Amino acid sequence: MPAQYENISQDLIWEVVRHRNAYLVKRKTGGGVQFSRDPMNLTNKHSRKHAGFVNEKAIGVAPNDNTVQLTTKTSKPHQPAKSTHQTSFSASASNRKVYKSVVNSTAKKGYRSDLRAEAVARASAIKQSQREKKDAPATKPRGAKARKAREE
Amino acid sequence: MTSRPTVTIHGGDGAPTKDTHPLPSVFKAPIRPDIVQAVHAGMAKNKRQPYSVSEKAGHQTSAESWGTGRAVARIPRVSGGGTHRAGQAAFGNMCRSGRMFAPTKIWRKWHQKINLNQKRFATASAIAASSSAALLLARGHRVSSVAEVPLVISSTVFGAAALIKTSAASKLLEAVGAKADIDKVKASRKLRAGKGKMRNRRHTQRRGPLVVYDGEKDGKDLVRAFRNLSGVETCSVYALNLLQLAPGGHLGRFVVWTSNAFAALDSVYGSTTEPSELKRDFLLPSNLVAQPDLAKLINSSEVQSVLRPTKGGAITKRGVVQKKNPLRNKQILLRLNPYAAAYHKEGLGHVKADTKPVEKDATFEATLMEN
Repeated sequence: MPAQYENISQDLIWEVVRHRNAYLVKRKTGGGVQFSRDPMNLTNKHSRKHAGFVNEKAIGVAPNDNTVQLTTKTSKPHQPAKSTHQTSFSASASNRKVYKSVVNSTAKKGYRSDLRAEAVARASAIKQSQREKKDAPATKPRGAKARKAREE
Repeated sequence: MTSRPTVTIHGGDGAPTKDTHPLPSVFKAPIRPDIVQAVHAGMAKNKRQPYSVSEKAGHQTSAESWGTGRAVARIPRVSGGGTHRAGQAAFGNMCRSGRMFAPTKIWRKWHQKINLNQKRFATASAIAASSSAALLLARGHRVSSVAEVPLVISSTVFGAAALIKTSAASKLLEAVGAKADIDKVKASRKLRAGKGKMRNRRHTQRRGPLVVYDGEKDGKDLVRAFRNLSGVETCSVYALNLLQLAPGGHLGRFVVWTSNAFAALDSVYGSTTEPSELKRDFLLPSNLVAQPDLAKLINSSEVQSVLRPTKGGAITKRGVVQKKNPLRNKQILLRLNPYAAAYHKEGLGHVKADTKPVEKDATFEATLMEN
């Protein structure tokens, strides 16, 4: 049994919210850039394709406990508590395994295959940010300083 | 016609009960932000109080122009002497202590008349929009832990003075998953920028959930229970107000319905064919398009069956691709010159010309060098 009348569609919602919504970040600098704070937006760009809260199907990739959390939408948009499905990956899983899992559970199943590259790119960026930073190598003294160091 | 959608009624603990209610027809009303914004802009003006500057301001002096011939501007000047004020220009909007340009009057047109049908349309539209979780999120409501939208709570929770304490009301909203929204509202309380601070509008804050009840059946105790919860508003289903349903003219207010109020919606708004019982001569507006989903429209058999087949067949125009050198890339060469295959196979490029060069005539050199 449908839970809603068919008077509201994704396209209508987008037309209602495209000029103003709670996630939209507008700045006058940078040629009037428009970004989105939507957690289900893979590129943080304000656009129809990437607007996660508008589309019936959307992918969210977010950092979580030294790993990546994948969020997809279920077919229950009118039940917000059950409208998303979360998956997390093991923190020890290699980057490539994470990308593969992200793709296998979304694009490969025909779930927003247009977002394949964006999903992997976001997962990659998150994994990269979670890497421990190496210490900068010790500087090699040259010239007078090197001579001084050798004498000591 | 598909079966009518139904909404689950939730209990006081936030768990769904066995009861359901068919979705009232008002939720089928068209979502029209343009109408809602226009009506909201008018309605928001109807609470204004007249203000103006004093009628006398800038004119409380006996200034007279000095006329021409005194090498000063002809603006009226304060008469007399013995004070700095004497001889200063007065009255004009460009003068110090002069009157303002076009002094504001209390008989400005403060209030807007809005057509009743438009107001009803806008209200119906705002109610319909409150049934879309995406629009609630776009308005900024934190509804991700709410069980269902529209959210209907069984009236047994409110009936017979069951909910008269604010602590109980707070617990109820927490149980149904509205706590995140209320916390957001609480955290948003800020000092207002500007003079409004000294005009009884000291703080600004977001709007939380709107609790809609049926005063006749649910009683009015819940109003007092909810009124000290920051950001939570209550409203009778018989007096729904666009300023509450679409604050700022933005669609998608988070509404918590009591089941009695939800059941009353059909009698308040009627349907597109049945006039409303309570509003005279009111039929719900119909949608201009039956199917608002563009993808479904385009992929429908009605549209697909009348489209002409794609032109050009298997050959498609190449978009912006890297240009390849046909002298180096054989496939590109073959595309440009199909004869190249045969030419290469025959080895015609390597065959020596069998015609021998013609011997020069004896007179050739002489003729060439003649001049």
